[in-house]
Amino acid sequence: MNTNWQLLADNLPIFIPLILLELILMVTALVHVLRHPHYRFGNRILWVLIVVFIQIIGPILYFVFGRGDDRRG
Amino acid sequence: MATLSTMLKKELLETWRTYRFLILAVVVLIFALMSPLIAKLTPDIMKMSFGKTLQLAIPKPTSIDSWTQFYKNMTQMGIFVVAILFGGTMSQELSRGTLVNLVTKGLPRWVVAVSKYISLVVQWSVALTASFLVTWGYTAYYFPDAKTPHIWQGFVPLLLFGLFFLAVILFGSTLASNSYGGLLFTILVVGALYLVNLFKAAQNYNPISLIGNNMALVQGSKTLGELGPGIAIAIGAGLVLLAGTVILLNRKKL
Repeated sequence: MNTNWQLLADNLPIFIPLILLELILMVTALVHVLRHPHYRFGNRILWVLIVVFIQIIGPILYFVFGRGDDRRG
Repeated sequence: MATLSTMLKKELLETWRTYRFLILAVVVLIFALMSPLIAKLTPDIMKMSFGKTLQLAIPKPTSIDSWTQFYKNMTQMGIFVVAILFGGTMSQELSRGTLVNLVTKGLPRWVVAVSKYISLVVQWSVALTASFLVTWGYTAYYFPDAKTPHIWQGFVPLLLFGLFFLAVILFGSTLASNSYGGLLFTILVVGALYLVNLFKAAQNYNPISLIGNNMALVQGSKTLGELGPGIAIAIGAGLVLLAGTVILLNRKKL
């Protein structure tokens, strides 16, 4: 286990921004999923799962294919 | 010209409000961070998975590995993300009829096409340049060697390929009635270019050469001059496609 921590510590300058960016992506998508009840297909639970558990690709899929129209809330 | 800048402002505002630019920027930055990380971790991963059972002489990672990862990510996943994100640029407006009001009030249709293209190019350039600088910084920090002397020469063709690629996306998006059709058109064009690339004689004239030779350029075994024809054709084809977009849009029922 020791070497793993060493690995993490060595690469902290990359890991921190990397994790931060993935969190930004996830949180932006998650907030949007929760605040907008209409989706082009699927339901809220499905999209929450996709956004939270599929890294990087999940939020892209949601914003491109999943989000509904904003015009009528 | 005033209408162009107004439309451009509208496009940029739209891409911000629909989170498209945010996603593009975050995703390419993630790729940019992952490139040096994967280059650095590959030997450790190999060691962890094979342990002591296999005595492999794993070479120490260099800046070459880091840039290889960068160009692999960008030219495969990167442009695919761009195609998905922007495949609906024109077709969405056409299918929703949001252009009707603007055009009937006297907005020239070419302004719509050109402003969309400029906004795409701006987003691509900003996001790509940012990620390039990030990878550059980390690579210089983790792999301070002199094996990749011509860093800019690898980057410029990728940036220029974007100009061509975005014109293809916009044209496909105007041609098709929905965003999937536009995406399909883009994939077909890129597929055709890869097929053409099988013929050696055509390689230097093929726009796809702009994203196939980045590592050779970075290491200095190829020069930008050799790609000159490909660059000229990519830019020429981009302009033709943009003109084609305007013509298509002029004939389209809104």
